Amino acid sequence: MTILARLERWKERGAISPEQYVYLTSLSRGEPFSLFLELNVLLYAGVLAFVAGLGWTVTTWSRQIGDVVIFAVLSIFLAACFWHCFSRAPIWSPGETPAPSPVFDYVLYLGSLVWCVELAYLENRFHVLSGQWDLYLLATAAFFFFLAYRFDNRFVLSLALSSFAGWFGVTISHWPSVQDAAYREYAILYCLVVGTGGALLQRAGLKSHFFGTYLNIAANVLFWAVLSGVFEQQSYGLWFFALLVACGASLAWGLTRRQFVFVAYPAVYGYVGLSAILVRGMAGETAILSYFVVTAVAMLAVLVLIARRFGRKA
Amino acid sequence: MRLYSPSREETLRVRRFLKDWAGEGFLSKEQYERLEVETASELRSTNIFLRLVLFFFTLIGVAAAAGLFFVVFLPRAPQQIAGIFFLIFAAVWYSAAEFAVSKFRLYRYGIEEALAVCALGFLCMGLQAVVFGGRLYSPAPDEARCLVPAAGAIFSFWIWRRFGLWYAFPAAMIFVVFLPGYWTASLSARHLIVAGLYAAGLMWIATQRPRHRLDYLDDTYSLAEAFLWLGIYLAANLRLSSLDLLALDLGAQWSGAGAGAASEFARPFYWSTWVFIWCLPPVVLARGFRLKDRALIAVGAIAAILTFVSNKPYLGWRRHTWDPMILGVLLTGVALFIRAWLARGPGGIRHGFTAARLSGKDKHWMSVGSPILGLIAPESITPTPPASPDFRFGGGASGGGGASSDF
Repeated sequence: MTILARLERWKERGAISPEQYVYLTSLSRGEPFSLFLELNVLLYAGVLAFVAGLGWTVTTWSRQIGDVVIFAVLSIFLAACFWHCFSRAPIWSPGETPAPSPVFDYVLYLGSLVWCVELAYLENRFHVLSGQWDLYLLATAAFFFFLAYRFDNRFVLSLALSSFAGWFGVTISHWPSVQDAAYREYAILYCLVVGTGGALLQRAGLKSHFFGTYLNIAANVLFWAVLSGVFEQQSYGLWFFALLVACGASLAWGLTRRQFVFVAYPAVYGYVGLSAILVRGMAGETAILSYFVVTAVAMLAVLVLIARRFGRKA
Repeated sequence: MRLYSPSREETLRVRRFLKDWAGEGFLSKEQYERLEVETASELRSTNIFLRLVLFFFTLIGVAAAAGLFFVVFLPRAPQQIAGIFFLIFAAVWYSAAEFAVSKFRLYRYGIEEALAVCALGFLCMGLQAVVFGGRLYSPAPDEARCLVPAAGAIFSFWIWRRFGLWYAFPAAMIFVVFLPGYWTASLSARHLIVAGLYAAGLMWIATQRPRHRLDYLDDTYSLAEAFLWLGIYLAANLRLSSLDLLALDLGAQWSGAGAGAASEFARPFYWSTWVFIWCLPPVVLARGFRLKDRALIAVGAIAAILTFVSNKPYLGWRRHTWDPMILGVLLTGVALFIRAWLARGPGGIRHGFTAARLSGKDKHWMSVGSPILGLIAPESITPTPPASPDFRFGGGASGGGGASSDF
């Protein structure tokens, strides 16, 4: 029975009103057809392409164009974006606030990205802080946190969190090649600060809907950091213990809050970490392959149980 | 042919509608709860995260089990013997996938998907080992060796039809890309054959879709048609399919000297494809808007952007550092114009289209997507801190489009 036939039946039975029937029937036929998502993606791609071109042009032609012109143009962009945002923003509220206009979020995002370009240009050209990039990143992170909370914008919150991570010295691009102890410690400290900060802000009722973003970023960085310690050749026991604790905490959080991404994290990260420890001491292909067969089946069994208990029927 | 009965799949579709409408407030909570009970499904599904993890562990288990079998029983087996066992494994995994669905009523559960995918992998490896003794792909034309990609394409298509797994369809299309390499050495002919096969698929889809406009199969056919249009576009765009845009010789690219693709093809063919890549996006967009098909609209928009991006290399013109800015202004301008034009219509609707959000899914995608996209963006556009103390800004020469400059 198609959706249209069911709607007809529900209307006849009085399960839905005639008005609902008319509206839902037209919706299921795609009338009207919403282009909301497509237009947002187009705006996002437009902003990103524009700033990428802007940054590229500035870096390539700085000598020919001249510092004054570049600095003036970037500043005008910046001022225009932030003037638009501050002049049109609704009164601040600690709860979730809808954007005053459909383009508002993208103007703010554009302004934030232009800020990055201008700051990078300033430091590269004039060495205002004598190459102390850490301070720029910290100041930028603070500024972006302010903007994200003032205008309730997740794009800018992500920029703030990544700038903050940059300050800690854990930009994502470092992960594949650098896994030394210093980065690991900074990464864990970053997770603690971000996780605790997010929790405190949520508890204080300040933009509680941001908490998921904090938690996901903190969890992923934490698992990567701890896992990198487990892969160390020596003194990995403590890291393995930390991995178990992190997995337990994530699993408990995921099951109690029914957030299954936090069930998926310990399943994958925990399995990789445990396998790294156990396979290390095994000799021979037969033992290793047997291990993977047995543990994969065991993991499947546990996950199916979890899915049946906490998941859903279709 | 389909493993799931139409009524079950239709019920799942109805449940998705209900959830969406309840999320947007078109149904009250009481209504939603009552109607949800009424549309209970026997199929067992799970959420996306558990689905991915179940897929992952099934892949590990299957691969390890096959590996263990060969280590224990056939440690030094010749290629052909190993190939026969690969084929047996393919049959076993496929049967297991069918069994998992029929016995346990799994639906997009990860396990049955991974088993079907493994069956496809083992089938291709088995055929390769049995028929060709494990020799790897060679670009030299050899009709007989097209057996492996042909079997891969047919089996992927079967999985798409049987299990309804959307990603099996682009997998079949990828196998098709390898086919002409075995038939002809001519690059032009290869492009034409791939585009022709996709066009044949498109015609088949076009005959099927009208019957399913309002049922659960519409989404499946919509996605398949979108992939086929995209495939035709990519096969026709010689600058993309020859990977010129990703060429390592970026200096030559940006100065316009990288006109390699033009010389590899006959001039009439080359310029015909240029005309074609300009004509295709409007056609796809028009069809997408006429059918109100989200996937087709997306592919039309992607093709249009790719045409803009690849136009200058096509013409052998030099690209400029500000080209992305122009593209950005164009995209933003188009989005703003459409939004304003739609908003000015009665009730914010024109010709059956609106810029307003009508689905809870859109909000969900925006909530999930914005933090992820926000994280990706600064990595790609924020200039990297200097590596050496003596770097300086500028120095880009116009002849090299600034590619030789430091930062």
